[in-house]
Amino acid sequence: MREAIPVPYLKAGLKEWIFTTDHKKIGIMYLTTSYIFFLVAGFFGLLIRFEQTSPGYQIVQPDFYNYLLTGHGAVLLLWWAIASHIGGFGNFLLPLMIGAKDVAFPRLNALSWWAFFGASVLVLLTLIPGNHIKMMWTGYPPYATTGDAGVTALYVFIIHLVGISSIATAVNFITTYIKMRAPGIHFWNTNMFVHTLIAANVIQLVGVPSLAGAVTMLLLDKYLGTNFYNPAKGGDPLLYQNVFWFYSHPVVYVQILPVFGFFSEIVPTFARRPLFGYKTMIFAVWGIVLLSFMVWIHHMFVSGVPDWIRVIMSYTTILIAVPTGIKIFNWIGTLHGAAIILRSPMLYALGGIFMFLIGGLTGIPNAMVAIDLGISDSLFIVGHFHYVLGMAVTLGVLGAIIYWFPKMTGKMYPEGYGKLSFWLVFIGANLFYFFQMVVGMLGNPRRYPDYPPIPEWHTLHQIQTVGAVILGIGILIFTIGVIKGLLSGEKAPDNPWQSQSLEWRIASPAPVDNFGDEHPKVEPDYHPYKYGAPPVF
Amino acid sequence: MEQVFALPAKWWFEAVSVWLTVAVVIYFIVSIPGIYFIMKYRFKPGEREIGDHEKHGHWGLEALFVIVPTIIVLVLATYSFVIFKKQRTAPPDAMTIKVTGFMWGWQTEYLDEKGNTIKTVVTSFNPTSYEIPEDQKIVVPAGKPVKALLTSLDVIHSFYVMPARITEDMVPGRITHLWFQINKPGEYWIFCREFCGTGHSHMFTKLKVVPPEQFTAWLKGETNLAKGELKINEEVVR
Repeated sequence: MREAIPVPYLKAGLKEWIFTTDHKKIGIMYLTTSYIFFLVAGFFGLLIRFEQTSPGYQIVQPDFYNYLLTGHGAVLLLWWAIASHIGGFGNFLLPLMIGAKDVAFPRLNALSWWAFFGASVLVLLTLIPGNHIKMMWTGYPPYATTGDAGVTALYVFIIHLVGISSIATAVNFITTYIKMRAPGIHFWNTNMFVHTLIAANVIQLVGVPSLAGAVTMLLLDKYLGTNFYNPAKGGDPLLYQNVFWFYSHPVVYVQILPVFGFFSEIVPTFARRPLFGYKTMIFAVWGIVLLSFMVWIHHMFVSGVPDWIRVIMSYTTILIAVPTGIKIFNWIGTLHGAAIILRSPMLYALGGIFMFLIGGLTGIPNAMVAIDLGISDSLFIVGHFHYVLGMAVTLGVLGAIIYWFPKMTGKMYPEGYGKLSFWLVFIGANLFYFFQMVVGMLGNPRRYPDYPPIPEWHTLHQIQTVGAVILGIGILIFTIGVIKGLLSGEKAPDNPWQSQSLEWRIASPAPVDNFGDEHPKVEPDYHPYKYGAPPVF
Repeated sequence: MEQVFALPAKWWFEAVSVWLTVAVVIYFIVSIPGIYFIMKYRFKPGEREIGDHEKHGHWGLEALFVIVPTIIVLVLATYSFVIFKKQRTAPPDAMTIKVTGFMWGWQTEYLDEKGNTIKTVVTSFNPTSYEIPEDQKIVVPAGKPVKALLTSLDVIHSFYVMPARITEDMVPGRITHLWFQINKPGEYWIFCREFCGTGHSHMFTKLKVVPPEQFTAWLKGETNLAKGELKINEEVVR
């Protein structure tokens, strides 16, 4: 028997945290780590932004700039956009939402976390001068096998450790969902967050080995003299791109699907009505999973692959707009005839949906191969994925932090900080990334610390920097709100948002043994979005 | 008749405006009802405390959400396919150049019908500014299609002809291609857009478009390699 620990979690001892197998504590450790890494990589992003404000080199030299870009990309993709919601919220919420005591393999779960922790330490090692990785998060050979690229081995081992962690988590979560649901929880009354989480982990399970293979061959090429990617000895650099993108395209759905889950949890709660088109949402999720493995060539539209495959993958890519469109229409549908309460999690969720709408519409020209030939590897694509991945994910996760803050800490997140930070982040991000897309359309290539002194480009870059500063202040205020909430937040009631979902039936913060018994009692007509009664505040 | 400035940029701009129109229309179709609902259906204590809890969806509406977007995106993809064919197929009267990328510059060879090199121009690395010596510019005739065969000496680069709005990667061990035609004499940017290391942002050159007679005369002149000041940095990076 595990001993009950004192709540709130802040009071648990260090030993308890280190040896814990409790899914809630592991979730909180993931979330804290990824938030800290988010702040560091976000700061890298600001430096990158400042460097581009004017033509010429102002603050950093190209080599250091390349390190900043590599770190910004890799850390935000792997730490913020995957670990925050799969490792963090996934761990914390999955057993609570399906009415289980813990995940299926608690010790494997702890192993996942410690592998992830190891990867985090390796990332910190790259901060030491001389350990910089400068080959971009994509790590394309032959560049990655040159001396100019930095310490490729660190990059490979980081991917391996994160990969081990991801695969173990995926096995764990999928098993948990299949075997450990409380009686009465079935496929058609599972929370959307759980549906999206499981879909994302299916992608992880299928995809991660492919990425691991790609980077392993990179390691062998660079240090042991094999020639997988060396064209002079019969290898092919495009092999890497194919194997790499086979996982690294679907991974964007790993990153966004759980955020769709957040939107689908938060919007009905604050709209006081059921999620519109719940069943089609589930079909859409699995439609996205299926299509996600058939589109990777759109990252290689100008890489020299044969024309026919570009056309086929142009069609499959653009078809992804259909299931993602369904989701946006359904969230808007949920707002119809609702009784909307505009608390800060709702603002974040709605803001995230609007960012995703722009991100989705600007994804279409990247799928249309004829347009892509003119905008590939320009700042347009950078602006586009900062809308979908950067901002939709960030707004979703920040909204989720405020929304589940009471269940994690027993305190309320200060509402004023939530609202203020939302408006700053939303306005700043739109100013930043919209004009990034414009300058990209004009032709500005990506990954450029310096650019020719073309007057329009210069003006557009200055507008972006203003946006980035506003965005940065917004994130800072959000972070102060987290600390303030932890230290002096109002004591949270068990169900502050009057949600119908299972995780709100237990005390805040969530007790160590979750529901007390093995499973909670789930009434026959239970549904997480059954909003039939007026809320009691 | 309107003067066409550059190909395949003309079709590219058409495709962009088609996409932009569709995107803006869809944006308003989605966001206007969204914002209207947020304004209208507010929670009011004692008055409006629960939403339409009976409505879980509407199959007709959702079928519409599937069918209409599917048709729109398939039309867009097919439209882009048609343009893509034109972008990738150089006109038969195109002249051929071969451009080789290296860290961080370009070597351009002008080929005759048999594939023999007539003239070579090398653009060397300029890490400090975006100025380029006159004899390092890539010169092409105005109004004539140019097919560029692309490859690389070391890592992957790319060849982005900005006025023509066309890019293709330069991959070591492979020959890729693109074509373009600029009708107005002048000087235009060419950039590398595939990340290639420290000098990536200064891997650029100028495309100098001149009237055809001037081009013929220029082609007979000597290569800038003859001066012996330039050489490609062939240091093996591996």
